Amino acid sequence: MKSAPFEHHEPDTVDEAVSLLESLDDPTILAGGQSLVPMLRFRLANPDVVVDINGIDSLDYLDEGDGHLRLGALARHADVEDSDLIDEKYGSFADAAPLVADPQIRNRGTVVGSVAQADPKGDWGSILLAHEGEVIATGPDGDRAIPADEFFLLPYDTTLGEQELITEIRVPEPAPTEGSAYHKLKRKTGDYAMAGVGVRLVFDDDGVIESAGIGMTAVDITNARATDAEEHLEGERPSPDLFATAGELAAEQSNPESDEHGGADYKERMVDVLTQRALSDAAERAGTVTVQRRVTQ
Amino acid sequence: MTDEREITLTVNGTEHTIEVEPRRLLVHAIREDLDMTGTHIGCDTGNCGACTVLKDGEPIKSCLMFAAQADGAEILTVEGMEDLPEADDIHPLQEGFREEHGLQCGYCTPGMLMAGKALLDEHPDPDEETIRDAISGNLCRCTGYQNIVRSIEYAAEELENRAAADGGAVAADGATDGGPAASPEGGHAAPEFGGDADTFCGREDCCGGPDGADPFDRDALLDDAGDADDTADADAGTDANDRGDTK
Ligand SMILES: Cc1cc2nc3c(=O)[nH]c(=O)nc-3n(C[C@H](O)[C@H](O)[C@H](O)COP(=O)(O)OP(=O)(O)OC[C@H]3O[C@@H](n4cnc5c(N)ncnc54)[C@H](O)[C@@H]3O)c2cc1C
Ligand code: FES
Ligand code: FES
Repeated sequence: MKSAPFEHHEPDTVDEAVSLLESLDDPTILAGGQSLVPMLRFRLANPDVVVDINGIDSLDYLDEGDGHLRLGALARHADVEDSDLIDEKYGSFADAAPLVADPQIRNRGTVVGSVAQADPKGDWGSILLAHEGEVIATGPDGDRAIPADEFFLLPYDTTLGEQELITEIRVPEPAPTEGSAYHKLKRKTGDYAMAGVGVRLVFDDDGVIESAGIGMTAVDITNARATDAEEHLEGERPSPDLFATAGELAAEQSNPESDEHGGADYKERMVDVLTQRALSDAAERAGTVTVQRRVTQ
Repeated sequence: MTDEREITLTVNGTEHTIEVEPRRLLVHAIREDLDMTGTHIGCDTGNCGACTVLKDGEPIKSCLMFAAQADGAEILTVEGMEDLPEADDIHPLQEGFREEHGLQCGYCTPGMLMAGKALLDEHPDPDEETIRDAISGNLCRCTGYQNIVRSIEYAAEELENRAAADGGAVAADGATDGGPAASPEGGHAAPEFGGDADTFCGREDCCGGPDGADPFDRDALLDDAGDADDTADADAGTDANDRGDTK
């Protein structure tokens, strides 16, 4: 099926994009188009106006600054996959990038577009939650930073205003004793997650977990945090038993639905397994003692 | 209604100026406006990869991009393969798919070739895992991928040989390595259909079937029909294993 007709605007700057969003009727932002184009084709989205941000060069970056890892709205999945900075310091991002879709889609799709899409099966939302990151939005009233926890509302629905553009997502630069990881279960290469878990662990100098962040993919109506498991981990030393209980708590807090790929019970069990695996990778990357996995690969 | 807009696409080195509506997909512009139907549409949803083309050297799915977004871009489609500098008559990748039987119905092949081309541009000597990753966005419903992997390996080797030859060294002919022995009488295992002398039936455009049987020999085919049930069983077994893997 063809998209319904629309007007195509290609602003060169963020200001121009924002004034288009403000002045035009029923605009939709087009980034990588890897989710929006199919939605337009199936007429799940019928905007009169498409504001294509691919020409705004100032949004094409992946760097560190202000104490954060910053991904501009045009940072593609493939940019994350190919980045040395990510490989060196951001385990969860490095784990996730090659697991998102397939090479062609990673060449076009953006991390920010994926977060904006707010598909509960999207991988990046969980990582943003685990890292307690922020979404930076620009609108007619200027910039604002939306904490990840306050961003996702419902499937495909967020707290972003209709006239706002996300310019960037950011996560804090890691402390020296921090590690992160992402594990994903999918039916075959290129598929969305049946379940996924992103983890970030920060240790104090004595090897005690100071802070824990866990984000879950495809097992609730949005990407969701496993707060019970996080609380259980904080103030403790890593051990197989600790991680096993955290896995159980994450599974209990998840709300997967049964579908053709697996029953809800099975997916909960997978949340448990993936959480333990991600925790043990994160702990290892933080440079603390290797925690023997209870659940083997 | 929205206005048409003039865009310029350089496809396989030739510049084309066309008028498109903003909603025109790149794949439709290529197939319908430019009449190059080598680029296929399999799924229309970004899943199958049959529509893969290179945009400014990068593989993308042309069903997930509007033509207007490619204004000014260089596009390579399967039609352009034979004119690339590394091609003789046809491109080494195309040669590989022919020699290693990398296609059956051929529907996925244009996309596979483009994914393969993008891969070899970046990794001239890829290992199997890298090849499989590079074609992971391309579905094939016929071959089971094994021969596609071999076809790309063939092309990598061929390109390397040519580079060596260009450098003054004597090129080895990759295709004449000692092939596997002929398969046992009546056996259908026949692991390699590489066009090797031992298993080659002699027909130029043969299907390359398991034991190199003449595809037009009706009697022989009817004789073989008894094997059909075995094959079905084997398939069912494989399916069950696949399902088991994910649980
Ligand atoms: C076959 C297939 C498999 C896939 N598999 C996965 C997978 O395994 N994991 C995964 O996470 N994703 C997967 N995806 C989705 C892919 O990651 C998309 O790239 C992503 O969801 C959307 O990013 P985009 O840049 O393409 O955004 P677009 O499609 O351009 O936009 C998506 C939505 O976000 C909005 N938007 C985009 N950018 C902004 C912005 N800067 N500010 C405000 N709003 C914005 C758009 O208006 C639109 O509503 C898959 C897609 C396909 C087609
Ligand atoms: S037709 Fe484009 S991916 Fe299938
Ligand atoms: S050869 Fe038929 S789909 Fe690949």
